Amino acid sequence: METDLLIIGGGPAGLNAAYEAASHGIETLVIEESFSMGGQLRQQTQVLDKLPKQFEKQRGTTLARTLIEKLSTLNVKVLLKHTMIGTYQDGRIGVSNGVKTIPITAKRIIVTTGAAEEASVFPGWTLPGVMTIGAAQILMNREYVQPGKNALVLGSNTFSLEIVKQFKEMGVTVRGIIESNSELISKHEKIIKSIKKDGIPLYLNSYIENATGVGEVQKVTLNHNGITEEMNIDLVCIGKGVAPILEPFEIMNCSFTYQIRLGGWVPQYSISMETSSPSAYIAGNAAGITSMGGILLTGQLAAVSVAESLGFLNEKLATEKRASLWKELHCIETTADLREVFNARMALIKDYHEEANLLPSSLFDLSLEEC
Amino acid sequence: MDPFIHPIFGKSIKKEVPFYFNGELLKAREGQTVAAALMANGIKKLGVSRKLQQSRGLFCANGRCCSCFVSVNELDHVLSCMTLVEKGMKVDSNNGDPNVRGEKNGD
Repeated sequence: METDLLIIGGGPAGLNAAYEAASHGIETLVIEESFSMGGQLRQQTQVLDKLPKQFEKQRGTTLARTLIEKLSTLNVKVLLKHTMIGTYQDGRIGVSNGVKTIPITAKRIIVTTGAAEEASVFPGWTLPGVMTIGAAQILMNREYVQPGKNALVLGSNTFSLEIVKQFKEMGVTVRGIIESNSELISKHEKIIKSIKKDGIPLYLNSYIENATGVGEVQKVTLNHNGITEEMNIDLVCIGKGVAPILEPFEIMNCSFTYQIRLGGWVPQYSISMETSSPSAYIAGNAAGITSMGGILLTGQLAAVSVAESLGFLNEKLATEKRASLWKELHCIETTADLREVFNARMALIKDYHEEANLLPSSLFDLSLEEC
Repeated sequence: MDPFIHPIFGKSIKKEVPFYFNGELLKAREGQTVAAALMANGIKKLGVSRKLQQSRGLFCANGRCCSCFVSVNELDHVLSCMTLVEKGMKVDSNNGDPNVRGEKNGD
């Protein structure tokens, strides 16, 4: 199979990149390992604001449909239940549909693999009924299944707290939020206030000693400031944040760097979103954990750069477009409480430009500008 | 079946789909994954781990962790969270090493 552009991942970054690329006339193929497109948007009932200016404020589930519908009239082919499993020596990408491997020749590749949730290990963490907080969200909003009745939530980032809020509406009783630090990870005042108002117990300086049960989790021993407490629980949700998914970049021999604010190990990339692997670009949460606005904008940025490199956009237009997208990204990430994420992203790009002897960019001064 | 009413989307009006788990006839809703359909039927334990023989269930629901694998229509080691349930589908627990190198898998 041959295509101008191969996009690996049919989530928000991949879909928005596909829209931008195909709008310039680029023949685009999207492969997606799941049975439907939309990625994590498929279970996000949160209303997303601070989206790029062409998008209205909307629920994640609605945004997934919006992005998919936008592709319907364009030259975009989608292969569901297809996974990238390797590369050939000549640079072709090996994609499996579970039965056979299909070699794909693509002039350019954009990898938008997103992020995966981190686990937290304690005795009994593999028992059924112990799951990630994202898994509980999938069960509720995509599958219409109550994940449990009496829950403990381990970790107190904003995402965990959002799901705690939703648990109440779903008839799941949250028996406690457990945080090993001495304060909550989330700084989202509105949600914290609401959780305190609901009387959900917050256990700071605490951890799970063990989870036990026959065939599934039934009891959890909590250590709270050195004092142990046993609870009858049938659901433990681990909300320890997410980290970029890196396998395709490892397969393509991309260089990596460590940026804790971007989620840990991330591939290095340029101001054009190009990685150190020739013709391979990156976007979305794979390029650093950010907000939905950042995910969509980096997708568009990568696609603009691909359009330029394939001759569908001239250098002047592409540079202008990139500058305006970077400005919008800067404004979204700084107002969405992600200033440190934006700064880490710029530091990563600057380092990479210096190491790879790429041209410095005037965009590096962006962080000084007010929105 | 779980009479689940979603606070935003309301009651699921998807039609019922019969399927089997370890020989038992169960009902799912159209469009559910195998893992979710089992949880809706109160089944959390999907099998046991091959080395330590400990109970396994859904963990990430996203196709990354391999905790929820089952046999689907006699094909071993299928991720139940990434497989949509189909009418008459035969789902079985995996309780040991998956037979991925056997003749039936084309090797």
